[in-house]
Amino acid sequence: MNFDLTRVLESKRAYRRQLAARPLREKLEMLDALRARAIDIQRAAASSHLKADAVGEAPGTYGTGGPR
Amino acid sequence: MNIRDTITTINELQAAGVIGSYAIGGAVGATFYLEPITTLDVDVFVAFRTEPGQLVSLRPIYDYLTARGCVVEGEYVVIAGWPVQFLPAGSSLVEEAIDQAVEHNVDGTPVRVFTSEHLAAIALQVGRAKDKARLLQFNEAGALDADRFQSIIQRHKLVDHWRRFERQFLGDQP
Repeated sequence: MNFDLTRVLESKRAYRRQLAARPLREKLEMLDALRARAIDIQRAAASSHLKADAVGEAPGTYGTGGPR
Repeated sequence: MNIRDTITTINELQAAGVIGSYAIGGAVGATFYLEPITTLDVDVFVAFRTEPGQLVSLRPIYDYLTARGCVVEGEYVVIAGWPVQFLPAGSSLVEEAIDQAVEHNVDGTPVRVFTSEHLAAIALQVGRAKDKARLLQFNEAGALDADRFQSIIQRHKLVDHWRRFERQFLGDQP
């Protein structure tokens, strides 16, 4: 089996382009579903030995001079 | 949980005169131009009319929304299941982004969203890891008008940031 990274990356790009081109209504429904999934993962992580904020970063400042 | 209902309520807030111009930014705003991006909240940027030296108050927004059953959780108001953060324009770039935001139509629901070029410039300015990742997405998707983007970053003195970003991430693309 050949592992062609270029083809894999191009395939990923094509799928992302396809998702980006979906109607706005569908994309907003996907946001709802993605958020629900993220919350489930956070809850599962919180109830296990994993820390919910294991991957974190500082909030943005948007030019306000301090954390949001 | 339904983000279209969230948008409808924000439009009602504007129609009632509680807020003036608004525009959605962040990951939700980016989703109007890119593939959907996982996020836990909605960033709504608002042009508040204040006198010099006067502090921005979110109280009228909170009062309007809590009277309609929304709940305040820390710095967020939960609208239709989505935590929404109302943010004042903290920089000239964000002020311009609100002013030049474009209206999209989601099956009859109007919504004001930052242009892709302003979203990218704000990501460049904020500069967290996820902002850089989003900037790469905009670039890869061809979602930016190059002239318009260059004009924005020149106006807001972000050219050096952009050169650094180009050197770091766009120098050797496959």
